[in-house]
Amino acid sequence: MRSILRYIISFVLLLNVSNVGAQEKKTEEKETKPALLNGLTVQVDIASLAYNLISNGGTYSSEASVQADLKHKYFPIVEVGFGGADKVTADNIGFKTNGLFGRVGVDLNLLKQKEGAKPTNNLFLAGVRLGFTSFLYDISNVTISDNYWGTTEVLNYEKQSATKIWYEIVAGVKVEVIKNIYMGWTIRTKNLLNKNAEGEVSPWYVPGFGVNTSSTWGFSYSIGYRF
Amino acid sequence: MKKTIPIFITLFLVFFIACTGDQECRKNRYVNLQIGFYHSTYNSTKDAYVDASFSVDSLTLQGIKTAETGEETLVDSILYNNQKSVSKLVLPLDKSSEQSKYLVVFNDVSDTITVFHTNYDYYLSLECGCIKTFSIDTVLTTNNFIDSVKIINHDVINVDAEHIKIYN
Repeated sequence: MRSILRYIISFVLLLNVSNVGAQEKKTEEKETKPALLNGLTVQVDIASLAYNLISNGGTYSSEASVQADLKHKYFPIVEVGFGGADKVTADNIGFKTNGLFGRVGVDLNLLKQKEGAKPTNNLFLAGVRLGFTSFLYDISNVTISDNYWGTTEVLNYEKQSATKIWYEIVAGVKVEVIKNIYMGWTIRTKNLLNKNAEGEVSPWYVPGFGVNTSSTWGFSYSIGYRF
Repeated sequence: MKKTIPIFITLFLVFFIACTGDQECRKNRYVNLQIGFYHSTYNSTKDAYVDASFSVDSLTLQGIKTAETGEETLVDSILYNNQKSVSKLVLPLDKSSEQSKYLVVFNDVSDTITVFHTNYDYYLSLECGCIKTFSIDTVLTTNNFIDSVKIINHDVINVDAEHIKIYN
């Protein structure tokens, strides 16, 4: 409870930080250059786990990430996960897939550190990701019926393969709640780089991306440990 | 503080559930062959033949199903039943065959129209499923009422467009 309180307060504080920074310009000049690598944080996304529990939309996803801290300014990140879908539409068309996905990217800490002060571990991050996944999917029971000529055809598309690449623009907050334990959230827009042509069989769900529209959004809430 | 957490959780749930509803199909799934009726008339000012649309006073149209044995049977349901003032036909092509044949009665004169086509599966989306689109290869007709035909658009897809002109 206390840690959540601390987390929320720190987030509120972040909003005023730019003003505070302006007032404290003339603090001591002692240069403490941050080290190049200040530890690796291993994080698990809880938002997707919670979503899997409450979702009845037929999709699931889990992911974890490793983020490095370079000079308290650049935060390269690798995110890997597993996602899938098992859905039947109102017209009884079935869609099934699962697959691994990965994203690489970098976040930038937008908070100016006080010069000379001990660097805080509360971060306001903005960054980009490049996502990639390659997976197989099945679409079953696609019915083409003809009322006039009285024919019905059922199509099944099995083991269709797809490779999707997308980019994401990410903003988020990451706070050290207890020593070396981090919590944070991100919100992101996702934009698909390779779309299917009209009329082509295409996957309804893309692991790591979501439901296959040209752009979508994502939310993550992660908990992590810094080594 | 105690109030913040339930509010946060509620917002979180609303946020997600709101976005997971079943989507419905918003694409056009209708694929029909459209045929227009024309007179070709000489326009002296332009010094060229121009097409003028006309309507048939009364029209009856029915599909003819050709079995593999070559036996032809009339489809029970009638697409145009003694309909008045018809200037355009909107017809379903046979999705299970590469040939669609129709018996058309213009006023009292009967003709058959046979359309040969190639069929394609055209996947729309999971919500909309798949439709058949067609490419018209040839059109054959008898020439009792019909003088000639012209294919102006070979691709029959889910877009409203005229494909064939029938001249009288």
